[in-house]
Amino acid sequence: MKATRSSAILEAGVITVAGPLLVFSLYLLLAGHNQPGGGFAGGLVAGIAVLLVWAAGGTTTVRRVLPLRSTVLMGTGLVVAALTGFASFIPGLEFLESGYVEVSIPLVGEVKFVSALLFDIGVYLVVVGMSLGLIKALGEEGEPAEVGR
Amino acid sequence: MILVLLLHLLVAIALAVFHRRLDKRAFLLGAVGPAATLLWSLANYDGVVAGAPVEQLVSWVPSLDLDIVFRVDAYALVFLLVIAGAGVPIFLYSQRYFTASRRATIFAATMTVFAGAMVGLVAADHLLALFVFWELTTISSYLLIGYKDEEASARSAALHAALVTGAGGLAMLGGMVLLANEAGTYVISELTANPPPATTAVSVGWALVLIGAVTKSAQFPFHAWLPGAMAAPTPASAFLHSATMVKAGIFLVGRLGVAAAGSVDWWQPVVLTLGATTMVLGGWRALRQTDLKLLLAFGTVSQLGFIFLLMGSGDPELVFGGVALLLSHALFKATLFLVVGAIDHETGTRDLRRLSGLRRSMPGLFWVATAASLSMAAVPLMLGFAAKEAAFVALLDENVWWVAIAAAASTLTVAYTVRFLRGAFGDHDVDRDPVFGRRLSAGDPLLTSPGALALASVVLGLVPTVLFPLTDAATAAVTGVAKAGKLVVWPGWVPALAWSLASLAGGLFLAGRSDLMRRAGDRVATVSSHLPDAEHTYRRSIPALLRFADRSSSVLQNGSLPAYLAIILIVAVVAPTVAVLTQSPSFAVPEGGSLLEWILGGLIIGFAVALAFIRRRFAVVILLGGVGYGIAALYSVFGGPDLTLTQLLVETLVIALFAFVLRHLPATFSRPVTAQLPRLAVALLVGAFVFGAGLFVNAARQPSSVAATYLEQSVPEAAGSNVVNVILVDFRAFDTLGEITVLVAAVLGAAGLVIPVIRNGRTGS
Repeated sequence: MKATRSSAILEAGVITVAGPLLVFSLYLLLAGHNQPGGGFAGGLVAGIAVLLVWAAGGTTTVRRVLPLRSTVLMGTGLVVAALTGFASFIPGLEFLESGYVEVSIPLVGEVKFVSALLFDIGVYLVVVGMSLGLIKALGEEGEPAEVGR
Repeated sequence: MILVLLLHLLVAIALAVFHRRLDKRAFLLGAVGPAATLLWSLANYDGVVAGAPVEQLVSWVPSLDLDIVFRVDAYALVFLLVIAGAGVPIFLYSQRYFTASRRATIFAATMTVFAGAMVGLVAADHLLALFVFWELTTISSYLLIGYKDEEASARSAALHAALVTGAGGLAMLGGMVLLANEAGTYVISELTANPPPATTAVSVGWALVLIGAVTKSAQFPFHAWLPGAMAAPTPASAFLHSATMVKAGIFLVGRLGVAAAGSVDWWQPVVLTLGATTMVLGGWRALRQTDLKLLLAFGTVSQLGFIFLLMGSGDPELVFGGVALLLSHALFKATLFLVVGAIDHETGTRDLRRLSGLRRSMPGLFWVATAASLSMAAVPLMLGFAAKEAAFVALLDENVWWVAIAAAASTLTVAYTVRFLRGAFGDHDVDRDPVFGRRLSAGDPLLTSPGALALASVVLGLVPTVLFPLTDAATAAVTGVAKAGKLVVWPGWVPALAWSLASLAGGLFLAGRSDLMRRAGDRVATVSSHLPDAEHTYRRSIPALLRFADRSSSVLQNGSLPAYLAIILIVAVVAPTVAVLTQSPSFAVPEGGSLLEWILGGLIIGFAVALAFIRRRFAVVILLGGVGYGIAALYSVFGGPDLTLTQLLVETLVIALFAFVLRHLPATFSRPVTAQLPRLAVALLVGAFVFGAGLFVNAARQPSSVAATYLEQSVPEAAGSNVVNVILVDFRAFDTLGEITVLVAAVLGAAGLVIPVIRNGRTGS
């Protein structure tokens, strides 16, 4: 695999697929509390989207399309997850104990908002960050290096 | 008490952060810590001495029985007074001793941390808290001793002290855990009230704790670090090695001595022997020093031996003598260290072969030193005399031989005291380039700080009864016996007085016949050169230790990933297997299975077997992916959509990442796995283990109450109908939080390992 290969058709096609994939990953994240999915699965789907972008143009394209640092994503995810835990103290609950509110949104209807979703968003961010980080680290362009057996 | 500790921390942080602005006043600010301790001690003095300890408890992790407990009884109060009473003058003295600089400010910060750690150490009523403060003193003393870090000798002395006391501290921790396990409590006051019965574990526990105390208090055979630690700036030596750090070990044996002596027979003879050996050895070595500070250091070793012996014995009378001696020793030894510091500061040397005529050029310092020396030599009417008399009376009740040994050591003490005074201030023919001092002004902290301490020695020597309530209450606090001894200015014509006077006379005689001493010393030196020397043993043991570390790590950490993997896998297989097989397990083969399950199972096995014979790496990865997808299909057959989804996604991502790595590897294996017998063996072992584990788990299966509860509560409790997700983000969310933390750490680690390899590969290096 040479780093210099890049095809306009491939790139355009991949971006077309990667966008909906990212949306799908968000769907999995939000729907996860009641249907199959959740932050972990959603994050992995987003990771696969990143992988497709990589396939289109290597790490340079990944950096261009997703100008985010994997460490920032993972750190934010951890902080969000931990803060959700501490936030439970405010209404006097135990660490990470969840609560929910029902909100009615115009045009959408009744929506149950579960505090555990915030925690799941943290998980999602960590997993996306992990995928992005590994892809960037391992997918570095260049001649295959002699790493030994 | 907690506020006092926090104040120390605050002062230290302020010093470290604002060092630029605080340069000139660093030590004045540092003195706030000990001053607060002093005020606190005085404010609580009456109540504590009357027998009502001050207790403070902060619940931390109640479920683990981890509380932050402070309990200051009269015994702890003695140490607090010593720490603060020596600390304040020493900080003021340091302000003059150091020229203002960034390093001196950091030094002041470290001293403050140290002072705080000592306060915490004596006030803590929890073994583990005591240990933490104990280690904190070790670390901060390492920094203090190594202050002149441009000198190799200072660095190695600091390391010596840290290694010896650190190793002792670890031993002590082991001992504490053993003792606390047997006693069922980590709270010191409960432990001493109900000592654990003498079992082997308890005996080992006491021995380990004793090692900790012996190393910290520089007792034989671990005494060598203390003279080495004289590389520290003199204020630190005065603070650490006269008043505080070395007293930590004594504090510990005093605190636990009664319980230990009551619990194991060997405790008392061992403590007495160690103390007596140290006492005589230190006194002898002090006589042969030419460096004033080293002379004091060996003198300190000797005095510590005496106090250690008394305090650790667990006998009320001896402990009473020990407390009295501790107070007097802190006063006169801190004074003398500060005097040496002043001489060093003004003349640039502390070699007694070069100093001459300081009695006339520095008269104020001379009188201060004389007062402290008289107390050290236990001349009547001095505090040192009253304390030593109390100790001799107690020892006479025990056994006349112990008094004889103590008197012999006291004789040496008198002799080295004379040597000190004469060497520092007398007129004599100096060997080479003599130096003369300079008169210190009356308000100079170099003079007033030791002066204040010396004055305390004199005044308390005239009215030692002032100290009696404190000493008595401290003894009662640890032994439960009140009125165990007397502190009087003149004991009357009792047998103990004869021993005191005899050692005084003997010491003066020895000091007068210095030629005799030198010849005797040379002869002993010739003989003892054949014996192992503590300092020498330490120096030789370090390279040996490093060699051992090198060798063991080259075996254990040989850099071969397959070897690491094999070790991990074998342990993971063998340990549970042994655990299961000892329980006479039963295995059950699951019954039935649909046709689809059989087909999927066969496919997975087929892939797995095939990949063992293939040499192309890429094909191997694809087949591995096939195994993973097969398993995902099995999940879906069993009705687990979440697991299926996750497994599919993970598998996809992993294959892609594998492909990335493969770009950097040769296209084929040199040999298929089946041709590499050790690897094949490990692989088969793991396979057999997993197979057996499956059958075992199947047999052990029972209707789970957890699953039912989760299913029931998922909607009402967590408002989610996907129970898998609810478990992950709600019921077991704490686990998930831990898992994602591990995930992040693993990714960062992997990226750190991989990126340099790939980058280097690209640059062609």
